[in-house]
Amino acid sequence: MTYQTKQGLRGLLAACAIAVAATMPLKAQAEATYNLALLSDFSGPYADIMPILAGGREAVFIWWNETRGKELGVTLNYKNYETRYDAAQVASLWPGIKSELDPIAVVGLGGPDVAALSERLPEDKIPMFMATASYGFAWKPNSWIFNPRPTYSHESAGFLNWMREQRGGDGPLKVAILASEASPAYVDMAKGLELYAEEHPEEIDLVEVIYTEVQPTDLTGQMRRVVRAGAEALIIQTNTSIVVAAKRGLQANGSNIPIMMSSHNGLPASGGALGGLDQLEGDFEAYGMAIAADEGTPARQFYETLVADYGLKAPWNVVTAMGVSQGLFVATVIDHAIAANGAEGLTGEMVREALFAKTITTEETHGFLPSLTFTPEAPFPLEGLKVNVGTVKDGKITIEAIGVDVPDVHKW
Amino acid sequence: MVYFINDIITGALIGLLYSLVAMGFVVIYRASKVFNFAQGELVIIGGFIVWFTTMQAGLSLWLSIPISLVLAGLVGYAIERIFLTKLIGESVFSMVMVTVGLLILLRGLVLLVFGPAVRPFPIIFPLKPLFLGDMLIPMNLLMGGIITIVAAVGLSWFFNRTRSGLRMTAVAEDHVVASSMGISVKGSIAFAWVLGAILSTIGAMIFLSGKSLTFLASDIGFAALPVALFAGLESIGGLILAGIIIGIAQSLTTNYLDPLIGGSLGSVVPYIIMLAILLIRPTGLFGWRTIERV
Repeated sequence: MTYQTKQGLRGLLAACAIAVAATMPLKAQAEATYNLALLSDFSGPYADIMPILAGGREAVFIWWNETRGKELGVTLNYKNYETRYDAAQVASLWPGIKSELDPIAVVGLGGPDVAALSERLPEDKIPMFMATASYGFAWKPNSWIFNPRPTYSHESAGFLNWMREQRGGDGPLKVAILASEASPAYVDMAKGLELYAEEHPEEIDLVEVIYTEVQPTDLTGQMRRVVRAGAEALIIQTNTSIVVAAKRGLQANGSNIPIMMSSHNGLPASGGALGGLDQLEGDFEAYGMAIAADEGTPARQFYETLVADYGLKAPWNVVTAMGVSQGLFVATVIDHAIAANGAEGLTGEMVREALFAKTITTEETHGFLPSLTFTPEAPFPLEGLKVNVGTVKDGKITIEAIGVDVPDVHKW
Repeated sequence: MVYFINDIITGALIGLLYSLVAMGFVVIYRASKVFNFAQGELVIIGGFIVWFTTMQAGLSLWLSIPISLVLAGLVGYAIERIFLTKLIGESVFSMVMVTVGLLILLRGLVLLVFGPAVRPFPIIFPLKPLFLGDMLIPMNLLMGGIITIVAAVGLSWFFNRTRSGLRMTAVAEDHVVASSMGISVKGSIAFAWVLGAILSTIGAMIFLSGKSLTFLASDIGFAALPVALFAGLESIGGLILAGIIIGIAQSLTTNYLDPLIGGSLGSVVPYIIMLAILLIRPTGLFGWRTIERV
């Protein structure tokens, strides 16, 4: 074969290759990768729940890449950053995260992330999506930080109204709050409910608001005040150590005033720290997210899929549910953004716009979250808010109420 | 009135728990002039040792408590041998900086070895409180208060009345001079760290009995700091009075002022008292005044 013939054949092969590539399906051409920055706390106050929460959200991204991502020609790449639940650490990490990863969205964890990034994200035009309930201090219009749940105070107010209905009678429900000044978020939770109680004295009579350390030495005296004040419910939305100390304090006083916990310090975590769920018999957890009980709900079925096919190793509990719901929240918004703008050239700004443009239905989040309609007025949906209530019965977590209405709470 | 007295008693007992943890600071300081910033971490290590021997190894409390105290002593000894022996004769500042490093290292080690999970701590003292009429006294704090007073009396006698104790005080004054007098500087400092670790483990048992254990419990070290500085870093007996004063002040603030102001002034009060006393008397209530003749 002469040199010219070889060159000719090479040219022919190259032309064929170009022709084949040009006729390939569109999705292969439009293969796009977008980065997500996952803020995590593997060594701070939430180190105990972080591996489970991280497992939940990462499993969703793996699932999305394998299913929707393949259809759309998009891969979501993610990386965890250790923040130690410390606002200063988040603030110092952020410039590096931005230059290293150039994320289209941040997957946040809690209050310190909000405190550190609320002023920076609008400038950088990158939205942050949380798993937790929202905070009063973050309740501002045109936010770049979004929560699938209302504020902790909305959730506790919803729970207390439900509890009052269950109790019956006309009088207000006598309530005590146990909070901590260790974090602005903890103070915020108490302040919101205090305002709600002040504006609705016919519903809630706030008999005690107690602040303590994150690892209290002894709460027997404080719990005696709560018992003496005739409290019918004790709200603790801080951490598991405070729940344990409060429970011991109540037991010392011979009282079983029901405690309401949130998702991050809920029944399984606090029960584990107390030595067994049976210690929390009759206590509650309430939040705007699926309750991780044994019932065969759509959320439970989706969890089973993640375990069977996408390597999720976390147990079925509220923390896993929080991670999965956060992953689904983020993935669905990105899905909507791709539907509106195409798979190529997606930006953080487009992702944020997509959040306002279309309702995230409960079906899209496999029942983990209620349907969510966001507006620029608030970082969380202002209407149609619901909470679910779980309790411990015979040593097992069961669903006590689903879709409890959340009342209007004014800004504080 | 009954409740007011009850709050005073409970406050005094919480203060005595702070005194016990502060005793760890003082013992190490009296033997080496080193302020151990990692005292809270020693409490946590002691707590995890107790948790391991009871909850993991399944030993009875009668067996696990002495074993835990021995193991804690060995940990204290190992820390001294590995990190501090080589610094004998060096500036006190170097040794203090090592304890700051220890704080970070021990916290990291606890996370690495035991993980971040919140664990149930064994019930060392009965959960049922002692009832005196309408008064209610938590048993762990009551027993802790008695242990603290016994430990303070014993250690005061040891440091002030025995040759070994006085030798340790000489070591704290000047390593080189003590060495030239034939006193084993290494031995004295090692003994102080063993004692400090054991006291911290007893503190962990009182503090955490029936509650939960995480590395965050090391914050008790910071709660004990005002007691140590208020008493003066050389006075073991003074810790009792300082602890009681601070505990009562904190309890009354928490129970009577906090509800009025809607905050947590009770957490800050110990530090306010500490700063006030340090302004008036920089060596603390019972700290030694050093007179230098030039």
